[in-house]
Amino acid sequence: MGGAELGQIFVNALLLSGILALVALGFSLVWGIMNIVNLAHGAFIVLGAYITFFLHELLGIDPFLSIPVAMLALFTLGWGIQRGLINQVIRAPLLATFLLTFGLELLIVNLINFFFKADLRSVTTAYSGTGFTLGTVRIPYIRLGALAVSLVLVAGLAWYLKATRTGRAIRATGMDLDAARLTGVKVATIYAATFAIGAGMAGAAGSLLSMMVPFDPTLGGGYTQRAFAICVLGGLGNVANVVIGAAIFAFVDVFVGARLPSLSRAVTFAILVLLLILRPQGVAGKRV
Amino acid sequence: MKRTAPAALLTFALVLGAFPALAEDTISFGAAVSLTGKTAKEGEYTRDGYNFAVETVNAQGGIVLGGKKYKIAVKYYDDESKSESTAQLIEKLINEDKVTFILGPYGSAPSGTAAPICEKYKIPMIEANGSAESIFSKGYKYTFAVLSPAKLYLKGLIDLVMSKDKSVTTVAVLGENEPFSKEVASGAADYAREKGLQVVYQELYPTGTQDVSALLTNIKGKNPDIVLGAGHLQDSLLIVKQAKDLGVSPKAMGFSVGPSSPEFRANLKSNADYIFGSTQWTEALKYDGSDPWKTPKGYAVAFRAKNPKYGDIPYQVAESSAAVIAFCRAIENAGTLDPAKVRDAIAALDIMTFYGQIKFDSRGINTFKPMAIEQLQPDGHKYTVFPSSVAEKDALYPMPAWDKRK
Repeated sequence: MGGAELGQIFVNALLLSGILALVALGFSLVWGIMNIVNLAHGAFIVLGAYITFFLHELLGIDPFLSIPVAMLALFTLGWGIQRGLINQVIRAPLLATFLLTFGLELLIVNLINFFFKADLRSVTTAYSGTGFTLGTVRIPYIRLGALAVSLVLVAGLAWYLKATRTGRAIRATGMDLDAARLTGVKVATIYAATFAIGAGMAGAAGSLLSMMVPFDPTLGGGYTQRAFAICVLGGLGNVANVVIGAAIFAFVDVFVGARLPSLSRAVTFAILVLLLILRPQGVAGKRV
Repeated sequence: MKRTAPAALLTFALVLGAFPALAEDTISFGAAVSLTGKTAKEGEYTRDGYNFAVETVNAQGGIVLGGKKYKIAVKYYDDESKSESTAQLIEKLINEDKVTFILGPYGSAPSGTAAPICEKYKIPMIEANGSAESIFSKGYKYTFAVLSPAKLYLKGLIDLVMSKDKSVTTVAVLGENEPFSKEVASGAADYAREKGLQVVYQELYPTGTQDVSALLTNIKGKNPDIVLGAGHLQDSLLIVKQAKDLGVSPKAMGFSVGPSSPEFRANLKSNADYIFGSTQWTEALKYDGSDPWKTPKGYAVAFRAKNPKYGDIPYQVAESSAAVIAFCRAIENAGTLDPAKVRDAIAALDIMTFYGQIKFDSRGINTFKPMAIEQLQPDGHKYTVFPSSVAEKDALYPMPAWDKRK
């Protein structure tokens, strides 16, 4: 591997880490706080991608500007889904939440398929594929922008959870449900807010992905898997773990892909299994 | 296997009960195509191609058998782009729906799982969308493909570039890790070597990949004259997008699947310019057949009249219609609905159609029809540029570097 190639691969992995962190962020939050493995997370990502696509295609809105719209729409939807559906199974065994969110995923994906067909779509702007060169390394603007947006949202969420009253209530609920309730935290509202934030983050990830990869209604499934793997790699508990998990996933995927592309997925998941054996709490997670 | 009289009577009675109005004069076909999942789009093309041919044949009176006219009906299932489901659905079509013949699914992997089921029940299948030769290397007697085999897909593109430019020396090939694409990729690499080119990169990426930057970075370092992609539409789009991201600018770039689909330009806009694609069929080709439409043009005009949502007609549509025509002709030649006799008639078939010659080698694959090459050009249209005898326009070569374009 020459120096120029190594530099490019490093940058590719770095750029991929950002978007993967955002993909896993909402998933990790919902899992960590509510103990719900949200299998519909990928479907929320797809919805975000479609919102950005249609705003760009029909109204000519720049895809980066449509990110807040996608986030708000998914936040609202997430709130509604939590209050209407997830709340029904919040005390139920894990299997029930699996079934519910899995069903939700099928429902959303098939509705999108019904209304928008299985056509592959991409958001292609005048600046798609353009970028600048740093030495021998090429940096495409869209992926750089996606990294920046991801970092802002990751940092924003970290700050929100640490510094605001609602944020602290969310963390408290995740740590000890009963204690939080005793101190006057309205758990139902906190859960709705948590799930809505998770969905909103998925919406933002979908917006960004729509500019980077061609997508159809089935895009999300693979990203739910990736989010799951990232959470396991990094460990649950806080925002930094998600970033670490995403970085490991991206670097392994890209570096293995550079030499043994047909094995990249097998190796990535083999490392996942290995880590689970050696450090079941995740690379950065705390032992419970 | 010969049906006994009571069983035939029973079947007849059951069919009568199920379809009282149609029973006397309908031949039932079954198909499991991907209407959802990864290849949903191609599955839709397949179904539309089958349906159009069936409607046309039915409108012209149907299949004539012993002086009697039979209409065709097709029962569809959605295999969700999962080749495991295809096998189950084919069993269901044969056992529960009691279809007489099978039309193939979309894709090589599902065709590969459907073939042993058809073999088991001795039900003939003509498929139009699975060209991996691995399907035909297992000695199945009841599976036939009207399309050209996978290894020929990118051959024409290599010939085209070499006829344009004697100085090309290097090729990079990247393919999806699944049976069809693997054969396309290795077929292209073998042919390039045979022609004296150096294959500087040949790798496979996993199905459903979302990032090919690592492969393209490696390719960029080797600076090949030609980059060939063997995957499906989604992969081809991703490769072009990331090739531009990373500034990978070979003299020619082409794909086995993708560019021939109208979605290729819809997704990539002007970034689709100069890209080559191989295709089983285009309406610019010049064939003179004995089917209801005779020529590619005739087929295209008739198809669009019935399906106005189509602009350019993807080859998957045409080859699917061709499979139906091949079945009709074989059944008429056999003069019976007996599966074994129809199977023999298919094996002996040799007809010229709007789709090209349909004739099967001893394995059941149509090695008699050539592939064509198309190019997306900056005027926003797609032209058939190879073979030169039927080219609509001259190929634009070399492809300008990404950063040298307006």
